[in-house]
Amino acid sequence: MNSLIPLMVIVPILCALFLNLLHKKDRTIKIIAIILALILPALPILANYGLHYFGGYVPLIENPTLGTDLPSLITGTALNTFHPAITYSFQSAQKIFVFILGLVGLLAVFTSLFETRRPSGVYGYMMFMGIAAITAVLLTDDIFNLYVFFEIAALATVGIVLVSNIKGNYETALKYMILGGIAAPMLLLGVALLLGVTGNVNITDIIYSLKNGLVNPQSPVLLMACGLIVFGWLYGSGLPPFHTIKSAVYSKALPSGAALVQAFSVFTFIALGVIILRIFSYLPFSQWVILGVSLLAMILGITMAILQTDLRRMIGFLAVGELGYIGIGLGLGTVSGITAGLFQAVNEAVITAFLFIGFGTVLYQTGISDTRKLGGMMVRNPKVALLVLLAGFAMAGVPPLNAFQSKLMLIQASINAGLPELGVIMILLSIVTFMTFMKAFHAVFLRPKPADLEIKNENIPKATIIAMLVFLVVCIVFGLFPQVVTSYLQPLATSLGGVV
Amino acid sequence: MIIDTQLASLFTAVALIIIGIFAAAFLDNLIKKVIGLAFIGDGVNLFIVSMGYKAGGIVYIYLPGMAADWFSQNASYPLPFAMVLTSIVIGASTMAVMLGIIIVLYKKHGSLKASEILGD
Repeated sequence: MNSLIPLMVIVPILCALFLNLLHKKDRTIKIIAIILALILPALPILANYGLHYFGGYVPLIENPTLGTDLPSLITGTALNTFHPAITYSFQSAQKIFVFILGLVGLLAVFTSLFETRRPSGVYGYMMFMGIAAITAVLLTDDIFNLYVFFEIAALATVGIVLVSNIKGNYETALKYMILGGIAAPMLLLGVALLLGVTGNVNITDIIYSLKNGLVNPQSPVLLMACGLIVFGWLYGSGLPPFHTIKSAVYSKALPSGAALVQAFSVFTFIALGVIILRIFSYLPFSQWVILGVSLLAMILGITMAILQTDLRRMIGFLAVGELGYIGIGLGLGTVSGITAGLFQAVNEAVITAFLFIGFGTVLYQTGISDTRKLGGMMVRNPKVALLVLLAGFAMAGVPPLNAFQSKLMLIQASINAGLPELGVIMILLSIVTFMTFMKAFHAVFLRPKPADLEIKNENIPKATIIAMLVFLVVCIVFGLFPQVVTSYLQPLATSLGGVV
Repeated sequence: MIIDTQLASLFTAVALIIIGIFAAAFLDNLIKKVIGLAFIGDGVNLFIVSMGYKAGGIVYIYLPGMAADWFSQNASYPLPFAMVLTSIVIGASTMAVMLGIIIVLYKKHGSLKASEILGD
């Protein structure tokens, strides 16, 4: 069922529009949001692999009757094989990425609907719009289409922050937009330069032009395009120098929103990272740029997380640090390294969402996220404390949870690639991640409750507990049976590992 | 001396981008920063439009009676123009959100100074 491919983007957009229309009808919003959110992870499972051409315009080579009246300038050249339509490509890797994005989206929407007394249609709109945009970013084979949805995702992120009503959210949103106002046009300029050199915005066609000598791959314009696209990639995924603003964005969103926004960052990182590898892998330094930036993100993200006293900020920085692991896998350029990196991306999207929602329960009960003012939450909610502890273990890579498998695979891949130093750094940073998490866990759950700590909401909504349990099940299943995920990622990794 | 139209447009685009980056990075007034960002977006749009320019070319509308070979050799490239239209819409939406946030921040802080509102 290839017709389901565009529906993966259309359904969340329609849902977003409905929710916005029904802004003040609380009950209707809840029902529509839950039904349509349930469809999100189901669509990639039901859809068949393949390509979808918008407008039905297939390449001429696939429909020769179309080209009968066209001049030989078109039918006799490479134009015959080029893709005239915006093309969406749905393969096994996209299946798992879109499924995980849909699952995180479903659980984030589910949590948000039951944590607020009056569900906001606008908040739902932003969440679904962001999901639609990132799904399109994952599916599209057209780099300009990717830019369009990249911008929509940035606007949805800003919307999620604005709706939160957390002190300082407007200031953070504006800072993020100003930086985006520079980074996004740079990404567009990179796309424009690629168009200028190759005459194309379809990624497959750009690669065809580069590989078949239609353009000079050593052209300095292509180098500049690579630099500009990398700049957009850094902004979109929150890598240094944008790590501080990205973690601030996470900290100014509601826990459900932050869980979703970090998934946006992870999948933007993957989508653009894979495109950079596909197009620019012939440049000898492209691999080293990815490795360097990822290493910096790991070190800066995780070390800055130790210094934080705000829970949300701490998870935000940990999330940035974890992105570095994904980048190391991609940067290694080997099949095993890329598989491990992509697996780590899937795991990180789940674990960070788990942590945001887990620590979000503390925020829900107390309205405080400063660890210096918290304590004694273990006595009040031992089950939630256990779930949060397991989420932290998963992030640090404790067996048998999922990140243990992906981090182990990454360390093995780095040793096999002749870079054991990276393996040592990854182990050390995993220990630091564990320490950082345990420090926060001790402050919030184990330390005696401060006398002035006021509990505003006694009971945590069941929906939040269910969401955390689902995340835990995913962490355990992916940890015990990693091949469930890696078998889907292997084909993409093999195709990329072959070109690097 | 007449400067080549395409080259002049490309230079103008680069100038707009540089002025925009300067304004966004160094000017303290939030509205001026936003104007700077608009300059960057406009510069990139002009750059893309300039790439689609074809000296002596015709508009890419295929009319009855035109020879297909002649049309394909003389029509300008339509893709950059389609891209710019989309980009303008995105730019306008982003700008509207930014200005909306600035209005809220102005009401809250009574100032438009980025150093006071954003803290750096």
